Order: sequence, then C-alpha cells, then structure tokens
Amino acid sequence: MTGTLSDVSRSAAGRRPTRLGARSPTLAVLFLAACVLALGAVEIALLFSGPVDPPWQVVLFPVVGWVYLAAGVTAWLRRPSNRMGPLMVVGALAWIGAGLANTPVQSLHTVGLVVASLPLAVVIHLLLAFPSGRLRGTLSRATVVATYFVGLVLQAPRYLYDPEEAGNLLFVADRSDLADVGHWVQHGVGAIVIVITALILARRLRDVAPQQRYVLAPLYVYSIAAVLWVPASSDLEALALWDPLTRATIQLLVLAGIPVAFAAVISLGGFARTGEIDELGAWLGADEHARPELRDALADTLGDPSLELAFWDGPSAAYVDAAGNTVALPPSGSSRAAVEVSVGRRRVGAIVYDETLIADPELVRRAGRVVAAALDRERLTAELRASRERLRISRARVVAAADTERRRIAHDLHDTLQTRLVLLAVEAHGLRSDGSVPDGAAAELEAGIETAINELRELVHGLLPAVLAERGLYAAVEDLVDRMPLPIALELDSQRAPLPPPVESTGYFVVSEALTNAVKHAHAHELGLRIQRMNGELTIEVKDDGIGGASAGTGSGLRGMAERVEALDGHLSVRSPPGGGTCVLAEVPCGS
Amino acid sequence: MRPRRGPVRVVIGEDQALMREGLALLLERDGFEIAALANDADALVRAAGLHHPDLVVADIRMPPNEADDGLRAALEIRRSAPGVALLVLSQHVLPRYATELMDAGAERLGYLLKQRVADVETFCSDVRRICAGGVVLDPEVVSAMLARVRRDDPVERLTPRQREVLALMAEGRSNQAIAKQLFLTEKAVAKHVSHVYHELGLLPCPDDHRRVLAVVSFLTSESAAASSAATPM
Repeated sequence: MTGTLSDVSRSAAGRRPTRLGARSPTLAVLFLAACVLALGAVEIALLFSGPVDPPWQVVLFPVVGWVYLAAGVTAWLRRPSNRMGPLMVVGALAWIGAGLANTPVQSLHTVGLVVASLPLAVVIHLLLAFPSGRLRGTLSRATVVATYFVGLVLQAPRYLYDPEEAGNLLFVADRSDLADVGHWVQHGVGAIVIVITALILARRLRDVAPQQRYVLAPLYVYSIAAVLWVPASSDLEALALWDPLTRATIQLLVLAGIPVAFAAVISLGGFARTGEIDELGAWLGADEHARPELRDALADTLGDPSLELAFWDGPSAAYVDAAGNTVALPPSGSSRAAVEVSVGRRRVGAIVYDETLIADPELVRRAGRVVAAALDRERLTAELRASRERLRISRARVVAAADTERRRIAHDLHDTLQTRLVLLAVEAHGLRSDGSVPDGAAAELEAGIETAINELRELVHGLLPAVLAERGLYAAVEDLVDRMPLPIALELDSQRAPLPPPVESTGYFVVSEALTNAVKHAHAHELGLRIQRMNGELTIEVKDDGIGGASAGTGSGLRGMAERVEALDGHLSVRSPPGGGTCVLAEVPCGS
Repeated sequence: MRPRRGPVRVVIGEDQALMREGLALLLERDGFEIAALANDADALVRAAGLHHPDLVVADIRMPPNEADDGLRAALEIRRSAPGVALLVLSQHVLPRYATELMDAGAERLGYLLKQRVADVETFCSDVRRICAGGVVLDPEVVSAMLARVRRDDPVERLTPRQREVLALMAEGRSNQAIAKQLFLTEKAVAKHVSHVYHELGLLPCPDDHRRVLAVVSFLTSESAAASSAATPM
C-alpha cells in the first residue's frame, strides 16, 4: 500500500493533539497572574493610603513586578516545561514584596524590609537558570543558595539594628555599628556571589555557538551590570551621579529591563530554539511508558499538529510509516516540506511538516538532531515489528500448507490406493477360490495385500487420524486418551464447538506430543488433560506427576509444539521443575 | 427381521465408483438384489426412502462433507425405518462409531473394515447374519474396545481364553465357529461362554444374536463408563 504523507498528515491533524505536559497549565497560570496583578494593585492603593503621599517613584516597585509578571506568564504559557516563566513570576512577587517597605502599614513595611534584596537574588537565579529554568551543576546551585542567603539572611542587621529603620516591628536596638558591619558583609559577600556568577556565565558563553553568543553576551552583561550597580551605587559616591530619587528611578527601570530582555531573547532566536530543544530533551529523559509518542512530542514542540514522521527503510530504499507502508515525501512546491534526519551519516528518517506553520527549516532540523536516536530506535522497532509479523505469517503459511498437504495426501491415499488394494484383495481371494493358482501362493498373496492395506491404514492415520478429520479435536483427543496406557483425567470444553482446521491439527499435535512425552519420558503415574475454549482462545493443558526437567530447548518435540502454536499466533509454555512433574500449556487464538 | 419373501433388497452408498460396483457385484452374485446405488450421503438417504430396502450398506466417509456423512446417513435411515439392516463400512474403525450404532439399536447391524470384503464368503455370510438380526463387529473394533476396558472392570477378571471367546462372540461367531477357530470342542466353548456370562453377571440366553447383543452392549457401555470414570485425577 502506498500513500502520500499529506494523506497521512490529514488524519494525524484530525487526531486530538497530545500536550507535552500531563495537563494544560494555562488556566492555573492565568489565575495566578490575576492574583499577582491584584496584589500589585492593592499595594499601590496602600502606598497612597498614608497621611502623607510618598514620591510617585514608589509606584515603580509594583509596576516592575508587573513587568516581571507579564514576561514570566508569556514564557510560562509558551514553554510549559521551561521553568524560566515560573521563576519570573517569583521575581514579580519579590518586587511587589520589596515595594511593601514603602507602605505606611507597619507590618507590611516590615515584610518589605525583610525581602528588600530578594529581587536582586532572583535576577541572579534567573541568569544562572537561563535558558531552561533549571540549574545545571553544583556550582550554579551553590551560588543560587548563597544569593538567597545574602538577600534574606545577611539583610537582617538592617531591620534589626539600623536606626533609620527603627519603625519596623523587628527592630531590636539602635546599633548603627552592627548595622554598618552587616551592610558591608552583605555587600561584600554579594559582590563575591556576583563575581562567581559572572565567571560561570562567561564560561557558558565560551561554550555556546557564536550565533548564540551574540544574543547571550549582551543579556548577561546587561544583567550583571544592573545587579552590580544597584548596591555599588549606594556604596561608591562616585557612581551616585544623580540625586537619590532620580537614581532610584533609573535603577528600577534598569532592573525592569531584565525580564524584558529575557522575553526579547525568548521571542528572538536563541532562547526559543534552546527552549524547544530543552523540551525535547525533557521528553527524551521522561519515562518511556509515560511520555507521549515521538511524533506528538515533535508536533507539540514545533507547533505543527500536522507534523508526520517517515522512517527510512534501507532495504527498499524508501520512506515508510510506522506500520511499514511506503510513503512519498511531499513534492517541492506543496505547502508541506520535509527535513531529513540522520544518525551520524546514516539516514534514519524524515520529519514532514507544514511550511506555513514552521517557516524556518533550521528549527525542524535542530529538533531532528535531538530526537534522531529516538527516531532511529522507533524505526528499528517498526522494522522489527514488521519483520516479526512477516515471519509469523510465513510460518503460519508453512504450517497451513503442510497441513493442507497432509490432508490432501491422506485423502488421496484413502480414496485411491486403499480402494485399489481392497479390490486387489478381492481378486486374490478369487484366485484362491477358483484354484487357478496354487493355494499357498494365493494365500500368501492375499496375506501380503492385507498387510499392505493395514500398513497403509496406519500411514493414513499418522498423516491425519480419521477421527480428527471426521469428528474434530475433542473426539480425536478422547480416542487418543483411550489408547493411552496411563489413567488420564480428561476435562474437555463442554460446548465442543467446531474449531478452525489449523487449530484442530495443532491442538491434536500438541496433545499427542505432550501425552507421548509424559508416557515415554516422564515416568508419570497419572496424567491430566484439559482443553478449554474461552474468549476466542483455545487453552490446552497437559499435566503429569513425573520426573519433570523437560524444556523447550532440549526436547525437539517441545520445540516443534512451540513452533506450531506460535505459527498460529499462540503461546506455549512448559513448566517442568526437576522432580515436580511437567505442565505444558498451549494457548491458541481460535476466533470467537 | 421382516418376514419377507424373495431376495434381500440392498441400497449401497459408496462414493468410490470401483468399490461401489465391486460391492454390488459381490452381493448380486450371492443372491442379493441391488435396489439402488448412491454416491453420496444425501443420495443414500433419498434412495433408502424411495426403495425401502432390507439392507443399507454405507461407506462412512462420503461426500458432501467427506467426514462421517455415511454414518450419519445410516443412523438417519435407521431412525425413519427401524427395521432396516445396516452394514457400515470404513477404512478405519473407531469404537465410538460402534457405540453410536449400538445406541441406535443393537440388532441387524454390522460395522466392518472395507478390506473384509476380500474374503467374499465370510463377508457374504456376515451380511446374511446381519440381515437375520445379528450384530457383526470387525475384530479390530472388538479388540480396540477390549483394549479400552479399564481397571475395576469385570472383563479384567476373565482369563485370556475367556477373553478370546468373548471377542469372537462380539464378532458374531457361533459357538461352533468359535470352537473351530480356537481348536476346542463345542462343549468347552459353551463352558467358557457360561463362565463369561457368570463373570459379567449376565444370564445365558439361547438365542445366538441376543448374547452378542448383550455382550456388545456390555462392552460399549462399560468402555463409555470407563472413559468418563477416568476423569477425576
């Protein structure tokens, strides 16, 4: 069967796309965003609830928080498995929290003082977690922990001892000396943390592709500079070019630029691609049974629900689908395009996508490189499945052909040769009666013919027992059991409905081999035979109480049984512990 | 047997033309009248309905299904005309078919291997014995049935000689014939027979075919019971 990929993709597009995440986070994210937005609004209202209005710049805290929020929600919704989005939302909360220090409510003012440095720590966290939102390496993780330590713990002397902040609830004593020491420790350790961060980022810059470096370097430099400048400007008077209010305004705007810069990188080149590759990486790492299909993962990541995979079939030098059917890649000029996927220099498949949805083939190519190994494995699985199916069909065909042949030969012998021999015997007897031949010779001839008839009868029985041909499996098994020299507990399906001829032949073969083995080799005293048909499957179980130790590998009889059963897509198992008897269990599909 | 004058009228069902003609010839030579020949089971049933024969000779494996169509046809004929004598021929003998035939009425019944036709005289006398109301089973069937007999069976208690006698009885032989075959006196055979009856708990009867009938029904029912008795393990 040959189809074109556009046919396939139509049906694929009709399928409900599976999301990468287990459930869509959209609603939850939007709800969270609404909450944070409201929080900012409440804060603004609070800022101006006091008897004296503060300078308008205090509004910038919640506003910068909203900027973080907008950037974070955008990233979160676009890349659900990327943690940059959630992290930026945390940044938004940190900004709104820090802004509380400007409210006239004492308790909120205290909270604001406690978290006042948190926004800077979050920026460091964002930088180190970029682009996936996950921290890579022990150094990064330790640095982020240190950052939060600097931002939250080393912040303490300021609200505990600084006389300027005496109005807060946590204020202990007017110890400006301790407050000063705390201030310098916080700024010193903070500077070290920032330097380490800068070094980590510099090392990362060295390792990325030049294209990415052009995007990442300004982002890193800008962010580091912004974080450095905020504390440094209060320490070094030389940097304080403007009056404190103007300076604070500029600082806040600069810090607000960081999430905007991240968002810009998201919508420009590097981050988008890295994010997609990252999502595919997360897919690759997921538990194979829990993750969605490769095609769905790619379709979801690249945003093309009509995306299709084609596997390269080396022997036929053509692309095939998962079912092994030959497919043609879309012709140029159609709205669909294909990108080849290779492992090393070996072609393994192609990703066929909609050019109107994905304009940049490079994006598909990169995704293809990430999943190449998975695609190759899927190709091998499809190939293996197809070849196993072919093998089974051909084996079934061989068994069926042999069966048909046996029936035909048995039938022919029965119809022609046996009849002829009987008539010959009649003639030989006639010779004896009419005395034309010496009596002894005639008797010898007659006896010879009778022997031939008996031998032929045995032969035909061996090919196809008459009772099997005439009365089916259950009767044949009963007769077989009757002839066995050991007592056999027989349990047959009560319906005794007719079975397909191949199942009857195979079933008889299994029963007769298993019983013969039990009688000949197992030194059994008692046998049990059960044949049951249930849910479209015929179950044959032969048990004995003999010496056990039989296995499908050793006994050619068992091997032959297994082959016949498997040819009908059935399964044969042998349980035969030494000294524990033998149980042969065959399950063969037999229609309803 | 129906009191009737004139030759015994026969319908033969056999799909092999050579065999069919051969049988017809043999029986005709021996004084039977061939009423009709049929080459499949359906035709056989029709012919029997049409000609009301005294005897139906049927091959077991016949068209249309090439299975046990001939046997089924014979049983069907016996159901609609219980007085008809049946001779069922086959290339293989199966005890189960003997049992089924017996269940349909253990008289005027024969079940033989086809090759028994070769000994024309014995065959024709068997056919006559069947028509006279007797039961004739092929020695192969009898020995297969005896082989099926399980433990706890009274037949097991018989001496080998008694079993031999029983087998020949089951084949429809008279005491005289048994004596001749086993090189015994008729008196000795009669003694064995009464021992067999005794061992099997059967009352002796004077009638030749009735005793066969009794013995055979005993064997068939016992063997049937034996196979089901083997069920629990």
